[in-house]
Parts: sequence; C-alpha cells; structure tokens
Amino acid sequence: MAETPEDATIPAGPSRGIIIGEALRRFMLRPEATALAAVVVLFVIFTILSPDLFPERLTYISIMNVAAELGIMSIGVTLLMIGGHFDLSVGAVLGLTSYVAVVLMRDFGMSPIVAASAAVVAGAILGGVNGVLVVRFRIHSFVVTLGTMLIWRGVLIALTGGFPLTVETPAAFKTIMAGPVLNGFRMSMIWFFVIGIIVTFLLARTKFGNWVQACGQNPQAARNLGVPVDRVTIILFMIASALAAVSGVIQVARFASVDALRGEGMELQAVAVTVIGGTLLSGGYGSVIGTILGAITFGMIQVGLVLAGAPGHFFRTLTGLIVVLAVILNTDVARRLARSRPLAGFRRSSAAADAAIVGIKEETDPTAEEEPTRDGVTRLGEPQG
Amino acid sequence: MTDKPVASHPAHSLPVGSRSDHLDLAPRSIPPIPPGAVPVMEAINISKGFGATTALVDVSLKAYAGRILALLGDNGAGKSTLIKIISGVFPPDRGELRFRGQPVRFASPAQARGRGIATVFQDLAVCELLSVTRNVVLGREPQKGIGPLKWFDLKRADEMARSALHRLGVRWERGLEERGVNISGGERQSLAIARAMFFGSSLLILDEPTSALAVRQAGRVLEHIARARDEGQAVILITHNFRHALSVADDLTILAQGRVVGNFRRDETDLEALTELVASVA
Repeated sequence: MAETPEDATIPAGPSRGIIIGEALRRFMLRPEATALAAVVVLFVIFTILSPDLFPERLTYISIMNVAAELGIMSIGVTLLMIGGHFDLSVGAVLGLTSYVAVVLMRDFGMSPIVAASAAVVAGAILGGVNGVLVVRFRIHSFVVTLGTMLIWRGVLIALTGGFPLTVETPAAFKTIMAGPVLNGFRMSMIWFFVIGIIVTFLLARTKFGNWVQACGQNPQAARNLGVPVDRVTIILFMIASALAAVSGVIQVARFASVDALRGEGMELQAVAVTVIGGTLLSGGYGSVIGTILGAITFGMIQVGLVLAGAPGHFFRTLTGLIVVLAVILNTDVARRLARSRPLAGFRRSSAAADAAIVGIKEETDPTAEEEPTRDGVTRLGEPQG
Repeated sequence: MTDKPVASHPAHSLPVGSRSDHLDLAPRSIPPIPPGAVPVMEAINISKGFGATTALVDVSLKAYAGRILALLGDNGAGKSTLIKIISGVFPPDRGELRFRGQPVRFASPAQARGRGIATVFQDLAVCELLSVTRNVVLGREPQKGIGPLKWFDLKRADEMARSALHRLGVRWERGLEERGVNISGGERQSLAIARAMFFGSSLLILDEPTSALAVRQAGRVLEHIARARDEGQAVILITHNFRHALSVADDLTILAQGRVVGNFRRDETDLEALTELVASVA
C-alpha cells in the first residue's frame, strides 16, 4: 500500500516533468500530505509575523514540548480511530492515571519507575473497560467513552477534593521522562518519536496492523475471514488509554503534581490532531506520521500565536479553522486522487511478475496495459472441456 | 472502455456488445457422481423457524467435490437461512449436517471455517481501503521475524496474492497495491473466490455473487466459479438467476417457501421448465 519514494525514480523513460508530477501525485495521496503542508505553511507565516522570535531553538523546544505531551496521547487515539472507534475518555484517563502515579509515589513511597508503570497499567485497564463495554453491548464508542470520561473525571475530582496534589520526585525521574537532553530538547520528544515509530511499524508492517485497518473499514468482512474483531477492538482501547497514561506520567514528571482538571479538553485536541494528520473520522485509514505532524502543527499554533502577540482566544479559532480545512482536504481531495491513475510511464503491470512466479510466458498486450478499464482486468481461464 | 477490436484481446473470450444476455461459457458434459462418493457437505432434513415463521422444512442437499450445486429460489425461499446454517451462523432446529460423512454441529462461523467452509457474502467481500494484496491475505497474513518479534512479510504476501489470482485465471493488470475502492463488483467477487480457494477451502459457498453485476462481469465471475470447481472445490452457488445457474451448475436444488421443490442435474432441465416449476409453487 505504501508507495516508497524510490518508485518515483525508476531510471529511463518518463521526462523530468512527469517524474515530478507523479511524485507529487503520490505524495498528495499520502494521508500525511495535509499535515506536512500545514506545518510548512504555519512555519512560514509565524516566521513572517515574528521573524526575531519564532525561528529560534527555544521556540522549537516549546513547540516540541506541547506536541509530545499531546502527541503521545493522540497516537493512541489515531490507532483507535483507524480501528473504527472514538475515545473521549483519554483526557480523564490521563488525569486519573496521573493521580495514581502521584499517590503511589507520595503516599506509598513507591519508586517513580514502579509508580509510572502502575499508572500505565491502570490506563490499560481503564481502556479495557471501554473496550469491553463497546464490544459486549454493541454501543457506539462515542457514547461509551463519553460516559466513562464523566465517570473517571468525577472520580478524580472526588479523590483530589478539587485540590492539587504535589509530590517530590527524584531528579532522575524527571530527566528520564521529560528532562532536557538534546540541546535543550526534552526527553518527552524522544519518547514521542520512539512511540510514533513503533506504532507506525505496528500499523503498517504487522498482522495486527492489517487487522486494525480491516476492522475500521469492514468489520463484518474481517470477522468472516477470521479476524478476531472484538479482541482487536479491546486491545486498541487499551493502547489508547495506556498511551494517555504515558502522557500523564510525563506531565507528572514535569509538574511534580496532579490536579482535578489535569488532561481536561485534551481528548478533543487529540481528535483534532488525529484529523489534521489525515486519519479518516470514519475509520479504516490513517497515519501515525500524520498525527505526529498534526501534533507539531498544534504546538506551532499555540507557541506561534503567543510570540506573535495575538490574543489567547485566537488559538482555538485558528485550530478550528485548520481542523475544518484539513478534513476538507483529506476527505474530498484524497478521495478524488485515490481514484486517479498514475501518469504515463508509471503504469505498471503485474503480468511479468505473474509470469515469473507461475513460470509461464505471458503474452503481454502493451496497449491493454496503457488503458486498463475498470472491469477489463481479468483474463479468462482457458476454455474447458 | 475502449473501442478497440475484440481481436486484440485474444484472452478475452466473452463477446462484447453482441447478444448482451448470453453467457458464453464453454459447454461441459456433466460427469455422473461416482458411486460411493461422499459429499463434502450434506444437509439432511434441516428445519428452522424464527418465532412464528417457518424458514426451512425438511430441506436436504448434497454438495460434492468438483461439482457446482446451484441453490435456486425466489427471495424468501429460505436460501440465506440454509447457507447460514451450513456456515455456522446459527444451528438448525432439527436435522443434521454431515461434513465428509461425519455429523457436525457448528457452534460458530469460526468452527465452520476451520473445516474449510468458505462463505463469500455478496457485499462483504473486500475492505475498500486495503490493497489487493492485503485483502487477499487478510486473516492469514504471512509473517517473518526473529523469535517472538514478528512482522508482516509484504513480499511473501504479494506472491501469495499473485498466485491466488493466477490459480483462478485472473490476471491483475494493475498493481497489487491498488485499493479496494478501485475494484469493480465483479473483481471483488473473483478476489474473494481466489482468496477462499488459495487458503484451502473444501466447500465454497457463494451468496448471490452475480446479482449486482453487469452481464459481462457476471460472465467473468461465473468463469471463475467454474475454474474453482475444476480445481476440485465443492461449490454451492446461491442465486435467483436461473440463467446463471444453468450456465455453470452441475446440479440444481430449487427451494420455494422453505421446502425443496426439485433436484435436477443441469442437463435434465432447462430455463422454461425451471420457470414453470417455480411459478407453479409460488
């Protein structure tokens, strides 16, 4: 499914113009195209608006800071959305698991590593509850997670009494989770990229990833072919909430505290990031790389507007605009392009490869390859009898 | 669609444009069922009701390897109920299923699948945004890896998809990375049949594979079904199109109002007789 860039540089034949055209066509077919365009365009705009402040290392660090904490959670939401489901509870899960981490360290004296692991496991369990409810009772995930969002948030408010809880954490914990490492860039960014790479691999290059996409597109067909759709769904909810917990642990390391409203609103930001990243709301199709770019877009808007001296409410408006624009681009344009044909010189036939495998010499008809028709692609079997 | 002369496609034996309702399948003399042959699937006196409605009454059928059994009948005749019982979606109220002579009870579609019973439902054949390759190997993805770390073997998957399509006589002119949205209805059915055959099905059940297709595409799919039969598959073809049934089937079982009203070999009957029979019961 994935087109590698090498495909666009097959030697000999098409002119340079066509090569560039084809490369562009293929790039536009990628779900990440919109998000990458958003990153580039916003970078240019903010650089023009505040040429002294924006293109600076400190700015990039702040952007990546915002992007990483939101992005790790969004990666889980993306995977889940590709699998055909929503999770509105991830913000509340982030809050509740942060509370778990803080309390385990503060009141039970556990080491930060154990407490952080426990928080992630707690997240997976909370996600498992969502998954089981969705699968067992066949209720739309939107409704189930709306419910659990309110429940987890209510529990968190009750537990904290509405007051922030602070905790003393060892410096090493902060360094490992969120400390500055590379030229001032924080560890959270490293985690963000590492998780992004792992989940991209999971989605594109594993059996499980194929199942996730199939579940999001046509769960009944997947089930007919023996894909354990319910199990995949539950695992996806667990991953989404566990990654929300990872975001939570990073915030705990950074703030050394938790409060009743921690993570509130992030569930919708995660959906926005996912959508900007080219994942279809209807499920079945999307990209984790796109989500990473989407999170960076989000960080750029947040930091860039401050540097440009814009009023705070601009943030929501601009984010909203970009989300709407991204959805239009991703669904409408992508749909048209998906049906487009490769430019001349790049249409390839699998006939030669077929022949190689089956060991027969195929009679190829070059004109037929040039203009394949929608239904004119099968070669009938040899006449029988 | 091009208007090149048909002669430039020697491989395409179907006439284009002319005799639009004619399915030009090579005639096949029907071999008799060898004495002592055990059906791959036999349904014996199956009855099934849903609440007050009776869907099936004492229905029996036999599907043999290397033969196509067409299951004919109008909407509501009980065809779907019968194939759902055979493919394990729900159990019969009374009666017995025998798989290769052994009585079986399927508690789930997964159990039926485990016996090599592959059911291709009309609208549920293909995931629209997955590539041809990924669609073919879905649920049976080849993997490679080191120890417990395993990943999807894309290259092997492409080879599997290619040989699956080849075995059915389908030549995929476009790349195997083509997505499901760009595949026509007929191609979807053929792809699903290729997939089922490749993964070793012993009984292929096709639910109305041609009903939503244009004549030419339907012809291709029927060719592919015939090819599956020639490869030794037992095939149950559910259709309400007598013409399609008569063009490929070896045996015909006609259902009406939940009962079997006729069992024929194809050469014992014709379109007129079938139409009359069904009209007389309805």
